[in-house]
Amino acid sequence: MMQYRRFLLFITPVLALLIFLVWQYRVADQAVVRIGVLHSLTGTMALSEAPLVDAVRLAVEETNETGGVNGAQIEMIVSDCRSDAGYCAEQAEKLIVQHKVQALFGCWTSACRKAVKTVVEKHHHLLFYPVQYEGLEQSPNIIYTGAAPNQQIIPMVSWAMQQHGRSAYLIGSDYVFPRTANSIVKKLLVVKGGQLVAERYVPLGEQNFDTIAGEIAAQPPDFVLNTLNGDSNLYFFRALRKAGIRPENIPVFSTSIAEAELAAIGPERVAGHYAAWNYFQSVDSIENRAFVERFRQRFGSRRVLDDPMEAAYIGVHLWVNALRSTGTTDINSLKIALGRQTLNAPEGIVAVDAETQHLWKPVRIGRAQADGQFDIVWQSGRSVAPAPFPFFIPHAERVVMAGGDK
Amino acid sequence: MKISTRLLLLFLLVAVLPLALFSYLNLQQDEATLRIEVLGRMSGLADKKAIQVRTYLAERKREVQIRARGSQVMNAIKTLPQGYAAGWRKPSYVREAARLHEYFGRYVEEYGLFHDVFLMTPQGEVIYSQKREADFATNLLSGPYSETSLAQAFREVLMTLEPVISGYGHYAPSQTSALFIAAPVMVDGKLKGVFAAQLGNDLFYRVATDATGLGLSGEAIFAQRDGDDVVFTTPLRYRSEAPMRLRMNPQQSSSLPMLGALFGESGAGMKPDYRGKPVVAAWRYLPELGWGMVVKMDADEVFASIAQQRALMIEVVLGLMLFSGMLAYYFGRQISAPLEAMARTADEVARGSMDRRVDESAPGELGRFALAFNRMAENLQGLYGTLEQRIEQRTRDLQVTIAQLHEEIIGREQVEADLRDNRDRLNEAQRLGQLGSWELNLLSGDLHWSDEIYRMFELDHGQFAPSYGNFLGVIHPDDRDKVSRAYAQSLVDRQEYDVEHRLLMADGRIKWVRERCSSEFDESGKPLRSMGAVQDITGQKLIEDRQRVAAVAFETHEGIMITDANANIIRVNHAFQKITGYAADDVLGKNPRILSSGVHDKVFYAAMWQQLIDEGSWSGEILDKRKSGEIYPKWLTISAVKDEVGKVSEYVAIFSDISARKKAEEEIRNLAFYDTLTRLPNRRLLLERMSLALTASMRNQHYGAVMFLDMDRFKTLNDTMGHDYGDLLLIEVAQRIRSCVREVDTVARMGGDEFVILVEGIDSIAEEASQRAAQIAEKIRSSLTTAYQLKDRLYHSSPSIGVCLYRGNEESVDALLKHADMAMYQAKESGRNTVRFFDPQMQHAVETRAALEADLRYAVFNGQLRLHYQIQVDDEHRALGAEVLVRWVHPTRGMVSPAQFIPVAEESSLILEVGHWVLETACRQLAAWSKSELTRHLNIAVNVSAQQFKLVDFVDRVMAVLRTFDVDASRLKLELTEGVVLNDVTDVVAKMYALKSLGVRLSMDDFGTGYSSLAYLKQLPLDQLKIDQSFVRDITTDPNDAVMVKTIIGMAHNFRLDVIAEGVETEGQLAFLKQHGCRAFQGYLFSKPVPIDEFEKLLLAGGDA
Repeated sequence: MMQYRRFLLFITPVLALLIFLVWQYRVADQAVVRIGVLHSLTGTMALSEAPLVDAVRLAVEETNETGGVNGAQIEMIVSDCRSDAGYCAEQAEKLIVQHKVQALFGCWTSACRKAVKTVVEKHHHLLFYPVQYEGLEQSPNIIYTGAAPNQQIIPMVSWAMQQHGRSAYLIGSDYVFPRTANSIVKKLLVVKGGQLVAERYVPLGEQNFDTIAGEIAAQPPDFVLNTLNGDSNLYFFRALRKAGIRPENIPVFSTSIAEAELAAIGPERVAGHYAAWNYFQSVDSIENRAFVERFRQRFGSRRVLDDPMEAAYIGVHLWVNALRSTGTTDINSLKIALGRQTLNAPEGIVAVDAETQHLWKPVRIGRAQADGQFDIVWQSGRSVAPAPFPFFIPHAERVVMAGGDK
Repeated sequence: MKISTRLLLLFLLVAVLPLALFSYLNLQQDEATLRIEVLGRMSGLADKKAIQVRTYLAERKREVQIRARGSQVMNAIKTLPQGYAAGWRKPSYVREAARLHEYFGRYVEEYGLFHDVFLMTPQGEVIYSQKREADFATNLLSGPYSETSLAQAFREVLMTLEPVISGYGHYAPSQTSALFIAAPVMVDGKLKGVFAAQLGNDLFYRVATDATGLGLSGEAIFAQRDGDDVVFTTPLRYRSEAPMRLRMNPQQSSSLPMLGALFGESGAGMKPDYRGKPVVAAWRYLPELGWGMVVKMDADEVFASIAQQRALMIEVVLGLMLFSGMLAYYFGRQISAPLEAMARTADEVARGSMDRRVDESAPGELGRFALAFNRMAENLQGLYGTLEQRIEQRTRDLQVTIAQLHEEIIGREQVEADLRDNRDRLNEAQRLGQLGSWELNLLSGDLHWSDEIYRMFELDHGQFAPSYGNFLGVIHPDDRDKVSRAYAQSLVDRQEYDVEHRLLMADGRIKWVRERCSSEFDESGKPLRSMGAVQDITGQKLIEDRQRVAAVAFETHEGIMITDANANIIRVNHAFQKITGYAADDVLGKNPRILSSGVHDKVFYAAMWQQLIDEGSWSGEILDKRKSGEIYPKWLTISAVKDEVGKVSEYVAIFSDISARKKAEEEIRNLAFYDTLTRLPNRRLLLERMSLALTASMRNQHYGAVMFLDMDRFKTLNDTMGHDYGDLLLIEVAQRIRSCVREVDTVARMGGDEFVILVEGIDSIAEEASQRAAQIAEKIRSSLTTAYQLKDRLYHSSPSIGVCLYRGNEESVDALLKHADMAMYQAKESGRNTVRFFDPQMQHAVETRAALEADLRYAVFNGQLRLHYQIQVDDEHRALGAEVLVRWVHPTRGMVSPAQFIPVAEESSLILEVGHWVLETACRQLAAWSKSELTRHLNIAVNVSAQQFKLVDFVDRVMAVLRTFDVDASRLKLELTEGVVLNDVTDVVAKMYALKSLGVRLSMDDFGTGYSSLAYLKQLPLDQLKIDQSFVRDITTDPNDAVMVKTIIGMAHNFRLDVIAEGVETEGQLAFLKQHGCRAFQGYLFSKPVPIDEFEKLLLAGGDA
């Protein structure tokens, strides 16, 4: 009996120690990985940009529900860029330096991207940029999840010329993207034997389009290419209607109007006009239906989804998959892994092109409908390789275009 | 339980069970690790495979892109459509098409890279096809093939204007599956057509399915989706007929790893493959093709080692269990038997039989135990007897102790009475005053201290009795002698004594005390009593010390000047006099204004006074004047001294002469930022200025330029004329560059002969800026190209300049320098003495070249190189021999052209390996030929590169190779270019004679393209001249070339040299050459370079291709 008690005395602490060690091993501390989200929640860009934060949030929550990344939960820190590129760059600096975020997701305008680019390059950091843009850029520190010119504007203009005729009227907001995009389009017109009727720019936030609408009505082009950004679109389409311009006669092809803008402008004003994107909410696939369902369950059943939102959403998932495949947060290993990512996204299968850091994406052209959705009238069969530097523009001209913008 | 049974169980529990458990866990762990590792490896292989396939496609795409921009296609697209429109059977079309056909023949027939190439008009008309299959002359938008992959690629090119890789599918015109790459053809900024190539399946399958690293059962498989089905696209290891035929419906494919890949996922895991066998697989999606890829190995093969290990472990554990069980049982018996015997005996002793003993013969501890047991039994017996006796003794001891305690109590009462007495006397002495006092009865030796003394000495009443010893103990050790002596002396002199000395406290503090003492004496002079007083004077002493330190500190190396509140000088120190040159008498009573240099204005002094008044002190750098009138810088600190009521009583100015330090700082700055030789800014200063420049550029949006400059052949100058000449050149170069740029621009020396010029703020328009930068660079280049007078010699040199423009700070300083450096290298490569601008494609080219070099190194040592033989014939078409040409077939790059890899080899000295390999292979072939009558007479000509020929032991190497293969040296012909022989004449001639003496024949390659003079040629022991193909090509059309060739042939005859013409392609050329006396020929007319087996077939066919 005595012996038995002594044995117990000996074995109890040993067992306790063992149990403690196992418990210690199991309960790894709940680490946190931070990401920074940079979008304008106020100012002229808020209309377009604010919904992107929800898309990022959905992706983050999905990730956290499925175990987070490498044992850590993702925490997102949202900064309001106030539609001001310089301020946005300051916020980026703050997120990187103070909050020690592992990656940035954000920006909409090219001006904003270019400002933040200098910051992420300085810190050898990472920015996921979710919006189609004018190309002629390639930063080792940016993953471009939106379309390059050959994935949106070039096929759109090609299609417009094929379907509607050769003369084009260009209208855009006065900043980097519309100017550079239009300089590409002008060259494209030359390549395809098209004709430029006029090229007009208005300040961001402009509300008076009577003169422009008058001009279009006076010398009707075969189609209008619209690179206006933000709430100017509302006033532009209102002015067109007022001037009696009908989509059957002069269709407008827009680069920056997606379902979100459609809802804000009023779909009946834009119905019959066109937009080109890689994603429309109306894309008919299992993945997309599930995506729309998840988003609505989380943020409300009346919410609409659009291309930049989807691009923001897949950016997070690409980042998460890359992190999971490397198992570390080391930025260089992460970049290599990012270059290998493919994803069955709502828009279709996308893949990161390691050389350009842009995505292989399908291209679609849609006609706006009165119900706020787009009817897809053309789509590329497969994902199209990204070409931020258009092949048809000689190298020397590209350099001038990339450096020549203001 | 018996001991033996327990031991058995214990053994099993302690030894075998953990072992078994550990092995099992270990095995589990191994398996898990192996699984992770295998999956990781599989993922790595999959990534590598994906890159391989991508690289292959990217290179083909690049090829198509280059062709689409190349002159052949551009010319064709300008002329072919009209010809085609007129009718593709008409001669105008046929002629154009033939040209194209010849050009693309290589790609399609020779390399097998492409199955076919096409040219389409923007309207979709297929106006050219190399193979002219059914697709030729149809329309891709409206014709019968408008739904093929080719048509799809064509439409995508029209939409995006980018080069495009099509999907993979059955292509009816070729009766096989096909993949197309198409690119737009642009002329003058307009879309004029689309160029497309159909990928050759065989080569592509080989690249894709190559299973290197995948063990015995592994393979790489590819598939694509067709509706809901999965269609395999490449041959499978176990089903070679698979491509586009093996198809699986959703039920069949649901568990395949391929399915994940086709849905754009990547991953790795264990799954059944298309045969249903479990495999370890990694899957990837290839966006270029829309294909899924799976890289896999059979699980059996991967986990074979683990299964073996498991069987082994079970055997070992069972064996161990049996063995240790038997061992444990045996030892248990050994121990338990004697124990049982002892237990019985002990039982008997306990019952009273005290005389029982046990057997002591057992070995080890048991024996000792038995012995001890027996002793214990004996002791037990003895113990009973002594016990009573010891109790009595103990009682007696206790009584004695009680008596002693009584005595002690009485003694203690006496002591307490004495203590009370003492305390009374102490209380009396306390009244003596604030000084501590003491009294010593010299007769009785009694010493008494007052309370004050205790306090002063910081001794505790209770613990320290007054004694001279304790007193000495408190005195500072250094002062003990002094005090003792003073007291002793006072007793001798019968005088009072008065002494100051230190006390050392227990915690190390020091106190100063003044001690006075007088003694009383009897008539005979014998001292009776001493009385003394001790006074604490520590405070007083402290003040004295401070004053002394202040006096010393005043005389420091810094000048000190003290003025009264009205700024009249009242005191100065020696350093003041030394620094200012004024004696104290010169300045006392005067205003410090006499020191001022007059450099600083009133405002300066006013500010100084203001701060003095506000803050009580001022310090700063100031220029003053010495008595000699010299102005010097000094660091001055002025403090206001205030009295108790806060009114300024004095000003104290302290200053040091900093003129020497200033000079040193300047010198250090120069050393740190300037190059000592040229006095130009060095790398550090340049980097600093560049980062400033980038910031400035970001603000003003002006372009600037960074130029990297390197003097050509500077090393040669240093080596031949010495470093002092080199240094002179650098100084001169530095001056000339400076004179070419503005004052604000930075010219820096990076080290060696490298300079960097930073030109800021050139222009805000890119084109203007590059124009201006080019002008500046050109100005520098031409200035540095004029002759240099170095001491007594005239020297010519030139620079290579790389220019890189920048704007804003988008690119880092490092990147800019790297780019400029790269451009400089480009300048060097294009023949030196040149200016080159940085171009991102240049960077790409540099990287591509590095990759090529690495591959080539691998190729050389792994037998990827091949020799091709181009026949050389005489005027009757009889074979004389062959020139060997090296070819490289890369597993993924395909055939790499020598024009591409030979320059790379030459740069990296790999050319030596290549050259040696060629020589060896050629000699091995000669040895093989010598065995047959038919081939014994043939020669082989081998090209020798300049680097190879320059080797000191080149001749020895040739000799060694000839010996190794036992070859008749006269069958080996070495072809030297003018570049080879134009080097060091004496060395070249000596080597050539040495080669001749071996019997080797020497031929001059590419004759006529260089600048070798006749006189020089005469010195060389050549056997043959080879007329370069550039002359032969136009021999029948260009009279200049005809004359040239005639001259060469004539000259060769004069020197009695053989002559051979290369690049003979037409009968016309042959006839001309024959007519003018050339007797040996080489060229496509006879045969292109071919592998050895084809060459030997050629010989059998009679030397006529």
